[in-house]
Amino acid sequence: MQEGKRVKKYRMSRQRTILAYLFLSPVLLFFLVFFLIPIVFSLYISFARWDMLTPLSQAPLVGLKNYQYILFKDDLFLLTLKNTLVFALGTVVLNVVLSLFLAFLFTRSRFKALWRTIYWLPMVTTVSAVATMWQYIFKARGLINALLADVNISGPIWLADPRTAMPAVILVSVWAGLGGAMLIFSAGLEGIPDSYYEAARVDGANVRQEFWHITIPLLRPTILFNLVTGFIGGLSSFTLIMVMTQGGPLNTTNVVANYMYQVAFSDMRMGRASAMAFALFGVILLVTLIQLRVFRRGGIESY
Amino acid sequence: MKRSRLVFFVALVAFSLLFGLTAGSAVIAKTKITVSVHYGGGQIEPLQKLFQEYMNLHPDVEIVTQTVAFDDYLKKIQTARLSGESPDVYHIYSLWGPSLANAKILELPPAAVANDVKANYIKSAVDGVTINGKIYGIPTEINNYALVYNKKLFKEAGIAAPPKTWDELVQIAQKLAKRDAQGKLTTSGFAFMRGWDSAVVHPFMALLFANGGQFLSKDYAKALFNSPAGVAALEQEVELFKVKATDASSEVWNFPNNTVGMMIMAPWYEGTLKSAYKDKLDEMVGVAPIPAGKKGLATSQYTWLWAVDSNSKVKKEAWELLRWLNKPRANGKTSPQGDFLVGQGIIPGRKADLENHNELKTDPFMKVFVDQLKNSISEPNVLQGAEIKTKLMDEIMSAWAGKKTPKQALDDAAKKVNEILEENY
Repeated sequence: MQEGKRVKKYRMSRQRTILAYLFLSPVLLFFLVFFLIPIVFSLYISFARWDMLTPLSQAPLVGLKNYQYILFKDDLFLLTLKNTLVFALGTVVLNVVLSLFLAFLFTRSRFKALWRTIYWLPMVTTVSAVATMWQYIFKARGLINALLADVNISGPIWLADPRTAMPAVILVSVWAGLGGAMLIFSAGLEGIPDSYYEAARVDGANVRQEFWHITIPLLRPTILFNLVTGFIGGLSSFTLIMVMTQGGPLNTTNVVANYMYQVAFSDMRMGRASAMAFALFGVILLVTLIQLRVFRRGGIESY
Repeated sequence: MKRSRLVFFVALVAFSLLFGLTAGSAVIAKTKITVSVHYGGGQIEPLQKLFQEYMNLHPDVEIVTQTVAFDDYLKKIQTARLSGESPDVYHIYSLWGPSLANAKILELPPAAVANDVKANYIKSAVDGVTINGKIYGIPTEINNYALVYNKKLFKEAGIAAPPKTWDELVQIAQKLAKRDAQGKLTTSGFAFMRGWDSAVVHPFMALLFANGGQFLSKDYAKALFNSPAGVAALEQEVELFKVKATDASSEVWNFPNNTVGMMIMAPWYEGTLKSAYKDKLDEMVGVAPIPAGKKGLATSQYTWLWAVDSNSKVKKEAWELLRWLNKPRANGKTSPQGDFLVGQGIIPGRKADLENHNELKTDPFMKVFVDQLKNSISEPNVLQGAEIKTKLMDEIMSAWAGKKTPKQALDDAAKKVNEILEENY
């Protein structure tokens, strides 16, 4: 009796599991076809020399040669890796600081919905449109240099000058991404109960002290989220730079994603490009793990 | 129950209808030839008109055209091949040929076509479609480079004639340059093309050839562009930056705004100039040979060609179509292909077309380019050509920016290019 019941129960739960997977199958299939198979495939290619034109079966396997080449021989890959880190770090740091400041300001101001909307607007604009617009603003005799000329400063040719191109694209990237981070910070700020601030005020804290000793520590999970997602976005950024500078001048804004695309589809070296993709993945993973470790603790729960 | 039966019935009818239709069309099946070209709107219609003419002559043939942008063309061939849906006929840039031939994607033409190409096209065009000693297709567009200058700016500066030597060109460029209060160029005496590999490398190649240099060794085993002739060519270019007649923001695309004095350009830019200057083109724009170097007049050239996919099921029909397109018409002396190209302001490679199209001798813009065909040298059809030129472009541009001396830049480029050549030759 008891035994039969258990078998029945087991059978039922097994049926349920099968049913659950059946319902999940579209998603799993999608994941398999568009994510898992391409990744395994490109991992395989990263050990081969393949131009996409010859059949894959004829592509010679070259072991670790692709990785060796990009890490030890290809100066341009190392330069683009450095550029990518500079771009991501610059974007994320400026973005987090500015958006946190703005979000903090707006939670304390009137018409906060209006301010948030204004700063969020670039987020609903396509990246290529943003990039094209800023291309005009940064021209030799564009808006910025016209304003500088009014105060008798001779501005550089922003996007064609190796010294100013990278700061310029970082600035645009920050401007374009400010709204998203700000919105997340606003939500995080709303989540901090007023009672903490009231208590602090009773103890005589001013706004600055409130910010440093209540807002920042309690906002750590939100900061972590913005840092991690911002870094991942920055490290794999492609469109903005592709449209604004194509990696120029003199490769000063060339990032890994951009170079990878060129190596794959212009140089027709799919193996080398795949190896770059995995190297970039390694860097992103490493940076993310470090961030998670450093900012692991914090938030309301830990107090 | 009733409802599901209805659904079943409807589905049955739909299926039988579908099969009926396909079966019906199979009865009057035509030979379908898919042609892939990089021509977009405005350019493709006259070509389609020619295809229509062919279809009228051959009612059993259906020609379908696909437009793929220049930048995406090679990628599209790659992906179409992977998915097994390649077109039958390609119109390709000569430098893509080696990779495609190496991967056995291109079908060698029948002997009659190859012999026709050898006999009836100018030598530099035949060179352009020759890969490893074999002819792989029929030459179409020829693009070579010449000096294009703004006649109005020349007149304003009191300059009567285009430069005959590079020193003269540098002096004229200095005279033409204008600056604003901040010292920024508002009018560039000279502008360099940039933005993709050929834009930077082809004009350099022209100066290299004029100086008597070679791009690669005959067997493609070694880069030769860092020879003294090449270093001199890059020094010539850098000189224009040094005297501040051009800078990093000087763009050839600003030429129609009358803010560029001179540039080294190919004939394909005529369309843009025509739509900017309309009937004043001749009054505003002058064309002259690139100033002679040690070896005299010389310039670089690249070619486009028709080729057939080796997987095509209609190879015979495809070559027949291409032969008709490129053969002089029975009544006149020009070919349909030549008529199409000349109508677009493009130079054809077939001798009969060059001889019998009057526009090529009278059009003030085109005639200099056509005349310079005798001094044009085809860029080498080398494997990994795009990669090689990109490496060279990076180094040329670092010399422009003054980061490296011309010699250093070209030596560094040669080192990288030799590594690439070593893999294949």
